[in-house]
Amino acid sequence: MTARWRLGLLIAAMLALAPAVWAVVTALPPFGSPTAAYGQVVNRLLPHLRTVSNMVAAVNFDVRGLDTLGEESMLLCAVTGAVVLLRGSRGEDRAEHAGRVPGRATIERDDASIVVCRIGAPILLAFSAYVALHGTVTPGGGFQAGAIAVSALLLVYLGDGYARWRSRVPHPLMAFIEGLGALLFVLCAALPLAWSVPALTSLLPTGKWKDLYSGGLMVPVNIGVALAVLGGFAVLVAEFMEETRTPESDPVPDEEDA
Amino acid sequence: MKAILAALLLLAACSGLLVVLSRDPKRQVFAIAANGLVLGLLFTALQAPDVALSEIAVGTALTPLLYLVTLAAIAMNRARQ
Repeated sequence: MTARWRLGLLIAAMLALAPAVWAVVTALPPFGSPTAAYGQVVNRLLPHLRTVSNMVAAVNFDVRGLDTLGEESMLLCAVTGAVVLLRGSRGEDRAEHAGRVPGRATIERDDASIVVCRIGAPILLAFSAYVALHGTVTPGGGFQAGAIAVSALLLVYLGDGYARWRSRVPHPLMAFIEGLGALLFVLCAALPLAWSVPALTSLLPTGKWKDLYSGGLMVPVNIGVALAVLGGFAVLVAEFMEETRTPESDPVPDEEDA
Repeated sequence: MKAILAALLLLAACSGLLVVLSRDPKRQVFAIAANGLVLGLLFTALQAPDVALSEIAVGTALTPLLYLVTLAAIAMNRARQ
């Protein structure tokens, strides 16, 4: 089939489907109109039932908390799978120093970019802690906090090079943090079962609405998710970056290389 | 507000088109990062700041980095063979 025939077929198919698309588009509710009944019910009930002001957190970590636990395990499994796949070809042993490809150009960082990265990384880390702790109050929560924390760690790599990134962000610690976060979530889900109440039932005091501590069990669950996402993504990035190094070459620990 | 939304939607379509039209993988990565940033702004404009936060962190920082690292690893492997 030539390109012209394919184009003709595409246009014919689009023309044939156009009336159906038009009918659906014109029947849609107007842009931005809140019509979903579920959202209205959640907005009306959850501030009183769960004393949280961030309804997304209330839905994610309480109403459908078990689903979120499944998603969290999915992330854990995906990271584990990637690590197994990559280490399968590279070996389990970790080199003491960052590997270096002989002959690869070393890119000097500008003072300006080093300063921006060194100032930006701690600010971003503090922001991610804020997002995690305020998960039940303001938009955000565990996943966002974890992703922001990883981008803060990436600034260390951007500003100070791979060798220092490798020593400042130890991979075993990141793997530990990932496991710790996932364990915290599982414990929060499973411990209520010991008191013969459904999983993820909050036995902690509910706190005050719009207060930093509000929502009871959702606070530790948010922190667990933040830790698991931070550790998971950091391990993933670390394993990927090891792929671009040759560990058997001469180690150059202090050299910045791109 | 309507003008900002229209501009952002247009930008999202344009940057998405750029991802498809650019043939060099490295350029595609940067185009996809730009697309992620535009989507993050669009989500902010549509009052979904939590989605915007994850889109900007994952879509413009993490995913592009993993793509770039993968491209570098592929290039290294080719040079060794």
